[in-house]
Amino acid sequence: MLVDIWEGTDPRPEVERFCDMWGIKGPILLDETGEYARLLGVRGVPTNVVVDSDGIVRAFGAARLDELERAIDDVTGS
Amino acid sequence: METADPQFPVGAACRIDSRSPWRQIAEIPVALDPEGVAVDVARRRAFVACSRSDLVSVIDLESHEVIAEIATGSEPIDMILDEPSGRVITADAHSDQVSVIDAATLTLEAQVPVGLYPSGMTHNAAERRLYVGNSLGSTMSVLDLDTLETIATVEAEPGAGAIGVDPSRRLVVCVNFVAASANFFHADTHEQLARIDLGTGTCAIGIVPERGEAFIANSIAGTVSRVDLDSFEVVEEIRTGQAPVGLTVGPNHDRVYVTNRGAGTLSVLGVEDGVEWAQIPVGEGPGGVTVDPYDNRILVANAGSQTLSIVEDLLAAKPPAPVVEPVSPLIGQRLPEFALTDYWTGERRSSREWAEKKYILNFFASW
Repeated sequence: MLVDIWEGTDPRPEVERFCDMWGIKGPILLDETGEYARLLGVRGVPTNVVVDSDGIVRAFGAARLDELERAIDDVTGS
Repeated sequence: METADPQFPVGAACRIDSRSPWRQIAEIPVALDPEGVAVDVARRRAFVACSRSDLVSVIDLESHEVIAEIATGSEPIDMILDEPSGRVITADAHSDQVSVIDAATLTLEAQVPVGLYPSGMTHNAAERRLYVGNSLGSTMSVLDLDTLETIATVEAEPGAGAIGVDPSRRLVVCVNFVAASANFFHADTHEQLARIDLGTGTCAIGIVPERGEAFIANSIAGTVSRVDLDSFEVVEEIRTGQAPVGLTVGPNHDRVYVTNRGAGTLSVLGVEDGVEWAQIPVGEGPGGVTVDPYDNRILVANAGSQTLSIVEDLLAAKPPAPVVEPVSPLIGQRLPEFALTDYWTGERRSSREWAEKKYILNFFASW
């Protein structure tokens, strides 16, 4: 799922514009203060956090497609 | 004085003995979503295009304070400073225009229409030319820097944005974010000489003319392409930090600075060896980058933290130790619980809803 951060203003119109532009329909959460991102140590966008079925973080960052694919393969066992 | 770290070359070629290959000078709050940055060397000022605030923040480089804000058109992204005319020019993406600011009086002088969604620009001061990449128009506008008249509108490709110029080869290079390509135009006739495919998310360019090379950042691919400007071929792909979006060539042309939007860092890439020498921490979500010719400090606009970082690169040469990207301490740990607002429904949703499921949290920003 997507987590929107660092808009610096009301995120809703910005997210709406973004979703329209890219045709996004999936779940989107708003981290309006960036507090959760800070807790996780997010320093940039995009940052992908891959979580397994035990709630354990298996990858963090993974902005490159090959890294993300590797992380997904790792967590799905494929 | 500290003992020099044997990991890093020091001595006559190094500016100071230090355990760290860089020094953080300042992080200055500016307005919303800073992107482009330029330096007025004579007046010791930096200009930062703050795209979500529709203005340019002006920073005194001695006191590191914001001394003025100048309204532009909607969503100024990239910018240049033309020393002969004393003008700062911004590419106002949502206004389909450029704004022209008098760098001495800090007042808006003119606004000139260009193509649709101008998002990148460069200039050739000696030949009095301004080049603007129009992302939605898939064109490149060529303007006279003195009269501000449009001389030509050249067909490029979707996502046309960043532009590089090599006057010695009579080349103008337009890189296209959406098409993931570059077009090479003759500087006099604007005829297309060649085109190449690049990595996904192509968005910044720097040229080292004496080597006949361009360095082009591919943000989604996470690489910088080294392109031969005589054969128009990609000769090397250099891996950088996460999501490289900004790029400038160092003053001695021995290194390239690349901002990594996904990592909050600035990569130092060796021009000759094509190796990442270091990653310098800057603010969150960095983008635009330039070097202050006065002291060679590097200025980075951070869209996430809404700041301008000023850092010094203290490396004399490639350090012996390779760059190792830090591993998050969260890996192998339980994800801290969250309770965040759902954009679609407005309801609070917690991590407990996803218990026993595999999922990815993708942190993003709309800018």
